[in-house]
Amino acid sequence: MATEVKLPRLGQGMESGTIVKWLKGEGEPVKKREPLYELDTDKVTQEVEAEADGVLLKIVVDSGEVEVGRTIAFIGSEGEDVPSGNGKPAETQEETEGAAEPEDAAEAEDEPEEEGSPAEQMDDERERGRQAAAATAEAATAAVADAPVRPDGRVKASPLARRLAREKGIDITQLQGSGPEGRIVAGDVERGTVAEPKAAPAVALAAGAAPGGEVQEIELSSTRKTIARRLTEAWQAPVFQLTVSVDMTRALELRERLVARLQEGETKPTVGDLLTKVCAAALVRHPSVNAHFTGEKILRFPYAHVGIAVAAPNGLVVPVIRDADRRTIQEIAAARAEMVGRAREGKLQRVDLADGTFTISNLGMFGIEQFIAVLNPPQAAILAVGSTEEKPVVRAGQIEVRPLMTTTITCDHRAIDGADGAEFLRTIKELLEEPALAL
Amino acid sequence: MPELTYREAVRDALSSAMRTDDDVFIMGEDIAEMGGSMGVTQGMLAEFGSERVRNTPISEMAIVGTGIGAAMQGMRPVVEIMYQDFLTLSMEQLVNQAAKHRTMSGGQVKVPLTIRTQGGAGWSPGAQHAQQLESWFVHVPGLKVVYPSTPEDVRGLLWSSIYDDNTVIFFEHRLLYPLKGMVPDEIEPIELGKARVMRGGSDVTVVAIGRMVPEALQAADDAEKEGISVEVVDPRTLLPLDEETIIASVKKTTRCVTAHEAVTRGGFGAELAAVVQQGAFDYLDAPIERVGAKFAPLAFAPAMEQWVVPHAADVLEAIKRTVARS
Repeated sequence: MATEVKLPRLGQGMESGTIVKWLKGEGEPVKKREPLYELDTDKVTQEVEAEADGVLLKIVVDSGEVEVGRTIAFIGSEGEDVPSGNGKPAETQEETEGAAEPEDAAEAEDEPEEEGSPAEQMDDERERGRQAAAATAEAATAAVADAPVRPDGRVKASPLARRLAREKGIDITQLQGSGPEGRIVAGDVERGTVAEPKAAPAVALAAGAAPGGEVQEIELSSTRKTIARRLTEAWQAPVFQLTVSVDMTRALELRERLVARLQEGETKPTVGDLLTKVCAAALVRHPSVNAHFTGEKILRFPYAHVGIAVAAPNGLVVPVIRDADRRTIQEIAAARAEMVGRAREGKLQRVDLADGTFTISNLGMFGIEQFIAVLNPPQAAILAVGSTEEKPVVRAGQIEVRPLMTTTITCDHRAIDGADGAEFLRTIKELLEEPALAL
Repeated sequence: MPELTYREAVRDALSSAMRTDDDVFIMGEDIAEMGGSMGVTQGMLAEFGSERVRNTPISEMAIVGTGIGAAMQGMRPVVEIMYQDFLTLSMEQLVNQAAKHRTMSGGQVKVPLTIRTQGGAGWSPGAQHAQQLESWFVHVPGLKVVYPSTPEDVRGLLWSSIYDDNTVIFFEHRLLYPLKGMVPDEIEPIELGKARVMRGGSDVTVVAIGRMVPEALQAADDAEKEGISVEVVDPRTLLPLDEETIIASVKKTTRCVTAHEAVTRGGFGAELAAVVQQGAFDYLDAPIERVGAKFAPLAFAPAMEQWVVPHAADVLEAIKRTVARS
């Protein structure tokens, strides 16, 4: 019996992935743990290993987006027949072929597992009931504020919703609940799995398209979708911003000294690395800022896992430098360089992106003097860092030229009060202006 | 197909059994000349005579005890307890005797006794004459408990109860007596332990008993106008319970409301909820809602009484809660 290769869930929150390419062709022998195909998820691209020995009998999904749990290939012994006909694999294939048609996808989903079973009719009826109820429920409780995910990670969901999610390989924590008190109900799971609606009518309809060129239609990648979803969520948080200008004279001197002492093969620390170190030190001193807001609770962390926003080719990613408060600047620089490198190659692992307690977004290298960053939930704060520019400042009644860096913190007011944010920012300023204090 | 009231259907089952079978007789307070306080046995004294339609003293313990003795001797007595509130006076006979003899004797003795009783609020009978105590008896192994809601069911189930070799407590509701319905020409016995799906639906299952069956059907009609499709299931027999039908229905609709006139706390709805969550846990899309009376002795004042017991509107509210609309 051939083994089905199903799209795995590589981490919490993964609902689907995009098969980039197969590393083995049909008919080729494969060994367990051998890289089989490349998978692009909402966070990273990685190679997925074969889970069985044998011959890659058939590739069901050659490329494109597939939801978790779908059969994408078969591994078996040479010459063996691949299950076909009424079984799931055939459906999978049909669905893949008609991937652009949401209705097809939805129909394939609803197919009961055993055809012709007495349960089928019941399932159908239940389905109709669910749809009717979902429609009514949706209309009446469009906006339910409560988040279904509790701080302890438990999700408020009906048993039916849980079962459907389990069967469909959906991560229930990623769904929005429309039931009472934000409970995830069956309809939410259904809606969560229905294929994305077709792209809106091309913007080409708009007047004034660029002369001589056509409007470019870009399908949203899974990374882009995740960015869109999370940022939209983040935008709903009540936030405030605080801005401070920092005299970077000492910080730049320190960096130069560090660079001068650099040994063979060591990474050159940047101002950003210095900032990561300073932030980490400030975060452990101000735990109210080093926090997650989960909806019902505030989690304060005893360690500083600092995320660094990186512009990767496929979009923004935020690799996390773990325990930045306990690392030296040199260690931070090395970790940063390694992760940014992999981010640019699209080779970050999910673990690289997990567990951040705070994020730094630095656009200084583009000459941006000051900006406001959008929260990275559930983190309660994010620091936007501008460029360091020589500016006239007044010191003891004299105008002097100093390298000034302007930085702005965005705080989730549900977790952080103004004074807490201000004290944190004051510490950042003090530590950058006198880096020895960070020791 | 004749149309009978619920009251006439009960009488028809009793009379038919007595015509068919000399072992069947009826006994109770004021059931002979008066024809019972609810008029159920009117005219039966004239047809069957005072040997088989027997008035008793006002002692529920004696009434049930006599019934048990007669049943153990091979008769199929049907005794009437005028108000189910007074079943409390015969508890020892019911719980310790009637329910136990068959198993304690290793099957050598049977107690094919039927205890008919009625009750329920809605006409200001006061706190001591209006209770719904069916769930008390569902807790006792050895008894069967039946509670029909339509003329057809009350006739077919009473027939089957009389001919069941176990003691059956047969509940009727005061407000159901005038209810009319079509019944088969000939009595068709209805197996104990079989539920009836009163109305098909796809969004919510309401499991209702007694007076709450018509109320639930009313609520289902009202819900339908709002686009909610309600299935109503009447278990008809509470012990043994047709778990299969109920679970299948909830698996189909994914939501469940239970409804009875008895006090919600510790009521039969609790047992139904337990059965449903066990059998259909992975199919439930909402918590099971229970509809029942408020936890209070029933008031005599009509407005107060109506406020305590549930109605179609309460069932409708519960239905909406399960589909997340209120």
